[in-house]
Amino acid sequence: MSKPLIGVILGAVLGVIDGLTAWFTPAVRNELFGIVIGSTIKGIIAGIAIGFFAKKFHSLPIGILFGVLVGAFLAWLVAFMQGGYYFEIILPGTLVGLIVGFATQKYGTPVEAN
Amino acid sequence: MRWLSDDKLNRLRSVVSEAEFSATKYTFVKELGRGGMGAVYLAEDRELDRLVAIKILNTPALTEDLGNRMIREAQIIAGLEHPGIVPVHDVGTLADGRIFYAMKYVRGSRLDEYAAQGASLRDRLRKFQSVCDAVAFAHAHGVIHRDLKPQNIMIGSFGEVLVLDWGVAKIRDDPRSSAVYQTGDGTVIGTRNYMSPEQARGENDQLDERADIYSLGAVLSFLLNDQPKVSKVANAIAAKAMASAKESRYTTASELSSDIARLLDAEPVSAYRENAFERVSRWVGKNRFLVLLVLAYLLMRIFLIFTSRS
Amino acid sequence: METDTDIGGPAHRFPQTNHSAIINARSDDSSVRRRAFDTILASYWKPAYKYIRLKWHADNEDAKDLTQGFFASAFEKNYFATYDARKASFQTYLRTCLDGFVANERKAGQRLKRGGDIDHYQLDFAAAEHELAAHASSTLSPEDYFHREWVRWMFTLALDAFRQRCEASGRTVHFQLFERYDLSDDEVSYASLAEDFGLELATVNNYLAAARRDFRRIVLEKLREITASDEEFRTEARSLLGVES
Repeated sequence: MSKPLIGVILGAVLGVIDGLTAWFTPAVRNELFGIVIGSTIKGIIAGIAIGFFAKKFHSLPIGILFGVLVGAFLAWLVAFMQGGYYFEIILPGTLVGLIVGFATQKYGTPVEAN
Repeated sequence: MRWLSDDKLNRLRSVVSEAEFSATKYTFVKELGRGGMGAVYLAEDRELDRLVAIKILNTPALTEDLGNRMIREAQIIAGLEHPGIVPVHDVGTLADGRIFYAMKYVRGSRLDEYAAQGASLRDRLRKFQSVCDAVAFAHAHGVIHRDLKPQNIMIGSFGEVLVLDWGVAKIRDDPRSSAVYQTGDGTVIGTRNYMSPEQARGENDQLDERADIYSLGAVLSFLLNDQPKVSKVANAIAAKAMASAKESRYTTASELSSDIARLLDAEPVSAYRENAFERVSRWVGKNRFLVLLVLAYLLMRIFLIFTSRS
Repeated sequence: METDTDIGGPAHRFPQTNHSAIINARSDDSSVRRRAFDTILASYWKPAYKYIRLKWHADNEDAKDLTQGFFASAFEKNYFATYDARKASFQTYLRTCLDGFVANERKAGQRLKRGGDIDHYQLDFAAAEHELAAHASSTLSPEDYFHREWVRWMFTLALDAFRQRCEASGRTVHFQLFERYDLSDDEVSYASLAEDFGLELATVNNYLAAARRDFRRIVLEKLREITASDEEFRTEARSLLGVES
């Protein structure tokens, strides 16, 4: 399995979980479907970016750092668009980025030499 | 004729059995050890100015044909060029008719000594893999060792692994073969705790690579023996290698080496059928960090849910 | 291919192949059988005598008669024809036959007729008795004692043969050096030997090396004579030379 694909799958799965936990916030429960979709897309975008990064650069610490930055940035964007819940969105988003960064560096088929 | 006291008798015995290198390019330094087949001496190669280990077989070649055959087979074994097989530099005859081999002098410790020094399970398994690779190479060239045991495996000062003592090796499919002894059926060759059942029965003419597989299994068993946490999988690998019926053992040393590699990488092995729980446990064990990260994420999520409610 | 002597060095000499007396004891030719029997007798009479004395508690006269009677019977009835090297060493076989013979004689309760065909041998039973009195072991089993005395006797015979060969070939000095260096109770150095014998140090070194080589060859020749197969020879050589098995 390629690294970008791992990134996409993991990003999507964690994005879905992320989105579903919004159910525990009654204020946004009505918008759950949209939140899940948005969260999943955010996870996929993060996964693609981090996965392609891992395909090119083989360094676990740098891959994790990149994942953290991408995850945090995308989460910040979402929170900014929401106009709130910065802590509740950025913290898990950052952690998802960390997880995807780790997984794409550790697993998946490495890039082949041209 | 005068009475020979015990002391004089022992001196004569050692005089008769000691090495005498006058007809060779070697100078005796000291005796390294003695075994059933012969003694090993440290000697100096005067031409190349280096130390070598010389193994001298106890008894002389009784006929010119047997002596030449010993040398021919030693040459075949000397042709096994592999980092895990101790190189044979020279083979010849002493002035008294005894055959000798000059080998690389390996500075280091035997595998049993290495294990006694407290090597970790992982390190032991890595060394064992190297032994399997060397033996697999020999098998691929038609040579069966027949006396594999921890005492015949050296760990060099750079951590390299060398298999020694090919003196009773058999060249497969050569009915006249024996590097040292003409071992027809009925003669037991090898070391008791490490020899396969077919070897113990003296079935030398039917021996194949699987006799060495059995011995490798016994070596693995030895390495696992004093370890506190040995998994069922590791024991299963040893058990498969040491199956009484040779058809049930690994077919090649490479297969055994591959299973060890899979064990070290927390992958499923051919010798052990996992149940679902064991498979999940193994996967979790192998991907511990990822699992911890995901758990941390979920815990964080639960924490946030509770804090947002309150 | 077979004679790639360049690798092994110049000294590719193999000892003379000696016929096994055990095998020759089964020969149809009576003179061959006789010589083979002589070899077996020479190698085993002393350990056999001592063994009978210790294990069967026979007095010296009875032990003498039993020893001579056993070997006489062995020759007349050709005990060794049925020996099978695959089942046991010749030493074990001979000792078993000896036990059987002594047991039968005791049961029959007859006074042995001395001699037979071995009357003409000069077996020095007095010396054997003297050795037994001076050096008997109380710690070894009779079987182990038999083996130890056989080893001792083999080396004694080899040493005597070596001395005779050295004298016959004009190499008495070789034997004397060997005796002084390897058999003396005193610490002797090459230098002191060189001085005592008026030889160069290198000569002492070479003579001693040659003497040891020759002695070794004689020991193994003697052993070869009384083993019936290559396998038995190798096993007994390891035992004789004190190598762990």
